[in-house]
Amino acid sequence: MAGGELKYDMSQNAYIKLVLHALKHRSSAVNGVLLVDPTTTSSRLPTLSLFHNHLGLLPPLEISLIMIEEYYIAQGLGIVGYFHANERFDDAELDNVAKNIGDHIYRYFPQAAILLLYTRDASKNWKLAGSDGGSRLILKEPAANIVLLDFISSQKWQDVVDFDDHLDDITKDWLNPDLFK
Amino acid sequence: MVTKTEETQLNRLEGQVENGGGGAWDYLCFVRKLKVRRSDKVLKYGLSILNDPKKRSSLGPEEWTLYEQVAIAAMDCQCFDVAKDCINVLQKRFPESKRVGRLEGMLLEAKGSWTEAEKAYLSLLEDNPLDQVIHKRRVALAKAQGNMSGAIEFINKYLETFMADSDTWRELAEIYVSLQMYKQAAFCYEELILAQPTVPLYHLAYADVLYTLGGLENLQAAKKYYSSTIELTGGKNTRALFGICLCTSAIAQLTKGRNKEEKDSPDLQSLATAALEKDYKQRASDKVSVLGSALKSLKVSS
Repeated sequence: MAGGELKYDMSQNAYIKLVLHALKHRSSAVNGVLLVDPTTTSSRLPTLSLFHNHLGLLPPLEISLIMIEEYYIAQGLGIVGYFHANERFDDAELDNVAKNIGDHIYRYFPQAAILLLYTRDASKNWKLAGSDGGSRLILKEPAANIVLLDFISSQKWQDVVDFDDHLDDITKDWLNPDLFK
Repeated sequence: MVTKTEETQLNRLEGQVENGGGGAWDYLCFVRKLKVRRSDKVLKYGLSILNDPKKRSSLGPEEWTLYEQVAIAAMDCQCFDVAKDCINVLQKRFPESKRVGRLEGMLLEAKGSWTEAEKAYLSLLEDNPLDQVIHKRRVALAKAQGNMSGAIEFINKYLETFMADSDTWRELAEIYVSLQMYKQAAFCYEELILAQPTVPLYHLAYADVLYTLGGLENLQAAKKYYSSTIELTGGKNTRALFGICLCTSAIAQLTKGRNKEEKDSPDLQSLATAALEKDYKQRASDKVSVLGSALKSLKVSS
């Protein structure tokens, strides 16, 4: 990602959903996508959890991206980023699968970002993976971590549905409409 | 592998125990039988039995199995004191036991003491070179340290001796996929299909890998394996149905402009599409329109 001071705002719910998804599948790598409305600066935008199994296989990835695109194109949203959490908690490297998917998204959205969940320290910080690292990720609501802790203690992660779950059982809704109700 | 019915049964039991309806011992036995990883629940319910002397004595000789199960669950949940206590109890009861020695090695592994764990496992293997569980722990050790090539090497060596171990072939395939070594992953799935040709999971995974590899021949083969998956699952597998649509679309892209006779008939794709639409209408009606537009974008006009 070249120069410029690009800042990434993420809504509380989007952030919480990503972490809950990673918590639900503690012993595997997980991934998902972030959406944006390029015409506004709205931050009430969703993240979508993709998979927790076989992240390196193409067919489920293609199906999910097609469905996501078809659903959100009507609302003017596009995929702006990709998030990834590695299998091992101390692994801060982006593996090839994550890089390939990230590059693919970057080709269509040059402002795309790849986010890697890195939990070496207890604060569960997101690290902005990219040429200039650092933390240009801003959480719109700084109380997000407190809400997250609350969700964790009530084991809310069990309610997160990702695309893998949907493909295994289509009655499960990958939009997670009731997660934050 | 766990079937859907078994999973539902397990979840129901878990809910029952969680809500105070009893059945903890049945739950723990079921978890052991299915070999699923529910360490936080196992730890909680297991300890509730072990810490109650009356309940503990009613288990009879099964008490020791429970200690072992709770020790492993405790390690998974990073409760090393609990694990150590359980192991001590077992050690007192079974001194010189290899099985307890294994648990001690696992505790070292769980704590991250890689070299000590490796030493412990190697010494156990010296006495019993055919101990499958220890071999697998060595693979897990390599994986935990991020040494994927080491893990692969250990697994391949293991499979030279234990070539019928389908779980290990699956593990190897998954590691290859995560490293994007798709050709090698395909080989693993071929072995699995040869050994157990009626397990649809292997056909499906093989098809996914073939599709990921790409190229006309692989796509055509993938289509065949998605079809066999559909046959083996009575048409109920959503992923295979989608797979057919993806393959047909990709093949059509690759064969654009070739002779019409070489093109596949579109029947298979329309059948798959129809099956998907029917299923979504019945069980996920709010997603029917998304499905419709997704499938439309996959249809390549010839």
